[in-house]
Amino acid sequence: MKEFAGCPSSRTFDFREKATQEEAPTAKVQSQLRQWPIQLHLVAPTAPYYQGADVLLTADCVAYALGNYHTDYLKGKSIAIACPKLDEGQDVYVEKIKSWFDDAKINTLTVLIMQVPCCMGLVQLAKQALENSKRKVPLKAVVVGLKGEILSEDWI
Amino acid sequence: MERYLNTPIKEIISKFPKVGEILEAYEIGCVPCTVGSCLLKDIIEVHNLSEEDEKEVMARIARVIYPDKVIPIPQVPRKSKARSKEIKYSPPTKKLVDEHVLIKRWIALIPQLLERLDVDSSEDREILFKGIDFIRSYADKFHHAKEEDILFKYFDESSDILRTMLDDHTKGRSHVRALAEAVEKRDKQGIIEHLNAYRELLTEHIKKEDEILYPWMDRNLSVTQVGELYSKFGEVDEISGNGVTERCRALIIETEEKFEKPKKEVRP
Repeated sequence: MKEFAGCPSSRTFDFREKATQEEAPTAKVQSQLRQWPIQLHLVAPTAPYYQGADVLLTADCVAYALGNYHTDYLKGKSIAIACPKLDEGQDVYVEKIKSWFDDAKINTLTVLIMQVPCCMGLVQLAKQALENSKRKVPLKAVVVGLKGEILSEDWI
Repeated sequence: MERYLNTPIKEIISKFPKVGEILEAYEIGCVPCTVGSCLLKDIIEVHNLSEEDEKEVMARIARVIYPDKVIPIPQVPRKSKARSKEIKYSPPTKKLVDEHVLIKRWIALIPQLLERLDVDSSEDREILFKGIDFIRSYADKFHHAKEEDILFKYFDESSDILRTMLDDHTKGRSHVRALAEAVEKRDKQGIIEHLNAYRELLTEHIKKEDEILYPWMDRNLSVTQVGELYSKFGEVDEISGNGVTERCRALIIETEEKFEKPKKEVRP
């Protein structure tokens, strides 16, 4: 069979064996979501829950891959989700992220992305917004592997 | 072995000097430390060795302490993953590392200053007075104050690692006081003694902070705390930093340029 030569973001993997071997927690996991809406096109960047907050900008796929997303990352933070590959109007995204820095005066921004190369676009949007903003804020990038492992976690 | 994990390192090294050599081999510089009250377990945790290095260092220490026995090697509990080779700082600690660069530039000028030192030369005395002003306003009031008034407050200030750092700050201030007096009195030996002592102290202190303290702090700070620190450092920079930084940077450049040119003729 010919080796896969397309975009890594749509390459097929089958993890069924691993997922069934590892025990899932039996206790009910409490949602840590503190707001609605969450999609970056729908949120107002100056909404009260962004004021002075630690914000997570999460690529759409991350919360499905990362088993402890709610407890390890979302807890105590405000959120927006986006897909840097499929979403349109990403110039609006840059303006909204910039408004988090300048208007909502957020405390930190953590960008969670998948390991696929196109996901890096979300970090680039955040960096561009930070360059354009008057106020500087710590920016962190967390890269999640396809099987939910944390591949890197670095301040930028 | 558990008992020694909870023993101050100075006590272990004086009983088993070989342990000091072993730690040196892993770039853990406890031997020259004048305090030495850190516990062995804290030293292993703070230096964040890779798992292999930790096992190896603990096994070597165990062989020195118990040469005739095979004993189980305890693992030191970790709060975070073992270090990668490259140090990546959070934005607030990166600011402090960047500030060290200017301080190191001044420290680098000390040997040349001592080599040309003429206590009766008004030019040399002026360089010394300006250097003292640099240490007091930039290294101490601006940079060390950020650490003491802000960063260290996020940690247990009675911990051995912070006591060691605060002790260095106190010793540095005392050398600078003595240096200022020596310059006033035109006491060449006093100037040489305290400038050299300050250079050695700060060189070692900056290395400890850049390579050990700040990475350890970064591993223990939450995301929220990193944001708070960055914002508080930004306030200090805005209120007092910009003027001080510019003035001190200009002073370093001026002194560096002066040392590149031949010394002016000095008339007594």
